[in-house]
Order: sequence, then structure tokens, then C-alpha cells
Amino acid sequence: MNVNVVKSGDYSIISVEGRVDTTNAGEFEKAVMEVVNSGINMIIFNCSGLNYISSSGLRVFLIVQKRMMANKGQLKLCSLQPGITEIFDISGFSSIFSIFPDQDSAEKAG
Amino acid sequence: MIQAVNLCKSFGNLEVFKDLNININRGECVAVIGPSGTGKSVFFRTLAMLEKPDSGQVYINGTDITGKDVNINKVREKLGMVYQGFHLFSHLNVMDNITLAPLKVKKMNKSDAQKKAMELLTMVGLTDKSLSYPHQLSGGQQQRVAIARSLAMDPDIILFDEPTSALDPSMTGEVLAIIRKLARSGLTMMISTHEMSFAQDVASRVIYMDEKGIYEQGTADQIFKNPTREKTRMFIRKLKVFSYSINSRGFDMVEMNVQIELFCQKYNIEPKKVNYIQLVLEELILEVYGDSSINLQLKIDFTIEFSEERNEILISFVYDGRSFNPFEAAEESEHLGMVLIYGVSKNYGYSFENGLNTININI
Repeated sequence: MNVNVVKSGDYSIISVEGRVDTTNAGEFEKAVMEVVNSGINMIIFNCSGLNYISSSGLRVFLIVQKRMMANKGQLKLCSLQPGITEIFDISGFSSIFSIFPDQDSAEKAG
Repeated sequence: MIQAVNLCKSFGNLEVFKDLNININRGECVAVIGPSGTGKSVFFRTLAMLEKPDSGQVYINGTDITGKDVNINKVREKLGMVYQGFHLFSHLNVMDNITLAPLKVKKMNKSDAQKKAMELLTMVGLTDKSLSYPHQLSGGQQQRVAIARSLAMDPDIILFDEPTSALDPSMTGEVLAIIRKLARSGLTMMISTHEMSFAQDVASRVIYMDEKGIYEQGTADQIFKNPTREKTRMFIRKLKVFSYSINSRGFDMVEMNVQIELFCQKYNIEPKKVNYIQLVLEELILEVYGDSSINLQLKIDFTIEFSEERNEILISFVYDGRSFNPFEAAEESEHLGMVLIYGVSKNYGYSFENGLNTININI
């Protein structure tokens, strides 16, 4: 699993690559919460490189979502691979998150 | 008709089969299936006394043919054998190949033997090849001649030892069609074959050989549709199996996933299904270890069975300890992991027996 953070306009783009499962969900959460705790409140998760996610990984997204809502910030997801979209659909997370087909449309959406 | 009693055969230290018992009745068509190297050919050769059994008896029509004073050539008149390698005499034409034994052994007169040979060539569809030599025939045609040659002796039973194994797939059909015709005519026969659909179609009884003997037998429907023993099931369904054991909560899941990926790559399992497999296993492991009342050292064994034939995956997940059904637990409170398992599974089941929890999940 790799996490990279870059600035793009008003957003911090967190790119996730590889697998997020029970073996590294803690590490993933730590990396993401560092960004959230730094006061950034407009985040896009670019998931184009994410190829596996289990419930442990989904929970991290949920924690971040709750935190962003509490901070009145914005959290968006983009570029989910079909297999990841399916897991989001099965878990019902597709209706909880704002999901966009690509980073450009995520940034442009209000 | 033909009976083997406690038949044993070894080559040096290699025990091929032990205490093999079988009884073939008149008119039966018995298919013998099993992985290569399980002794099917040796069994056939032993029935025909081409290999001497170490112990045990073979009876043909009540006569023990393993006895010292038995005229084995006389016995073989009643027991035809068709080999995977045809074994025709290359210096004789088709007619002479077929009439040789009736003339020499049965002392038939030449015109009768030739008349019968032509009838048999008609039956195998090769009347225009009676003067051809084996090298002028295709493999399929040579095998059809070998069948006609075997029938020329009016055997009580014919043993077909993988009769299509040496043939190009395009020629398999013509030979199987002849054997199918013979089976329907009521000729008693045993056939060892890797042609599963053929065995299922023609055999009145199917024998699965493994573990040095008859591992399971039954009607074609029983063996092909509802095999009861594990190795038969794996063979029939062309199952590829991956097994893994977890002995404590601190196991290495990364290593487990690498092993699963290697197994899946080997059998070209699509990446989406690989993710499903890993997801189901990860969530089940979390459910089981997440239940605080369960011993943290509990042992988990799981297998992944991949059926190439059906392109299906079955995960069997077994753990000890008290009875704990994660499907029931998920009904009481929302378990995200179980929601994912429900979502990617075709069906699932749980049972608890003899101190073992078993979860079966089809993907």
C-alpha cells in the first residue's frame, strides 16, 4: 500500500495504491489522519491505484468521512476500479460517499 | 463372467494394487477411470494374465485362470484386449491381421475367417482397407482394425486399455463410436479411459481407481454427478485444491495472500475472483478471531477448491473451539465484513460437528 498526498487547487489529493486490508489499515489510517489533522478540510481520495479493499480499509474511509463532516469539510472519492466500486456498492458505501469517475470531475464538482 | 479376488500386484517395492476385488457380469460395460499411474493398465494386463499377479485369483466363467495348469492361450481366446498402441502386425495387411488368430488358434478355415473379417470390417467401417497395411492407415483406422481383430475371436469380454490415448483428438470420435456401438450390442467390456463424457455416456458401471485399488464405484450417474469420496470428487470435477492452516492470531496474512495469488495464477483464476477469495477469507478470519470468547490460539484450516470444469470456487473454512456461527452473529448486529461476504458469495453454509465449525462458501 502506498499513500501520496499532493495539492491540486483547493484540494489535497490523497492517492492510494495497492491493497488496503487488515494488515495495513492502521498504517493507512495513520497516514490519512495526519493530513486531516493538519487542518486540511477539502480532500479527494484518488483510488485509481487501489486494487483491493476489505472491511478494515472501508472503516478507515468511514472514520475520515465522519471527521470531515464534523469539520464541515469536503471528502470526495474518484477513479475507483470496477472491483472497488463493486465493494463500495455491496457495502452500501457508494451512497455514503461522493464518488466521481475521475479527479478532474471531482475537483470541478461543488 | 470375470471376477478378481484379492488381486495383488507389485513391481519391486512399488505396490500397484492390493486386495483388489471385482465382479463383472455378462453384458456389463464397465469404465475404469482415475489419474495416470493408479494402475489401470496393470490391472487390465493382470486380468488378461499378461502380468502375473503376486497373489489373488482371476476367474473367467468360474475357472481360475491364475492356476498353474491352466492353458492361458485358451483362456485368452475368450478375453480380447485392445491396447492404446494398436499392436497390429506391421508386415501383415488388414485382412491378415484380423484372420491370423482365427486361422492359427481357432483353426477356422480361410474362407470362413475372411468372411467374418469382412463382416467385422463392415462393422468398423473399413471394408475398403482390407488389403492395406497398417502404415497406410491413420491411427484411428488402425485402432478400428485392432478392435475388429479382437472381435474376430468371439471373446466373452474385451478389455479396452485407453484405446484413444494415442490418437489425435480428431480421430478419437471414430474409435469411440465403434466402442459405443459394441457396448449397445451387449458385449461385455471393460474400458479404461480419460474420456469422461464417453464413460458417463456408455458405462453401466464406473470404477474410480486410486490408492492402490478400487477407491469408489457406482453407476455413471452416481460417480459423475454425486461422487461421495474426496479423491473421486477432485478427479471428476477437475478440482485444483489449495490448503492452508492458521495456528494463531499472529499468523502472517501477507504470506497467506501471496500463496493464494500464486495458486490462482497457476490456474488462471480471474483477478476479480482472486480478490473475492482473499476478501472472504480475510473477513472470516477477522470474524472468528474477533469473537473475544474464542480461544486466540484456535486453529483454522481452509481449502480453496477450483473446479476448472465448472469455473467455480468453493472455500471450506474449518475452525475448532466452541460453536460460533458468524452468519447468525451478523444477524444480531451489523458486521461489515459479513455484508461483504454475502455480497460476493453465490451461496454459503455453516455447520458444527464433532467440535469443528465448518463454513462452505461458493464464489
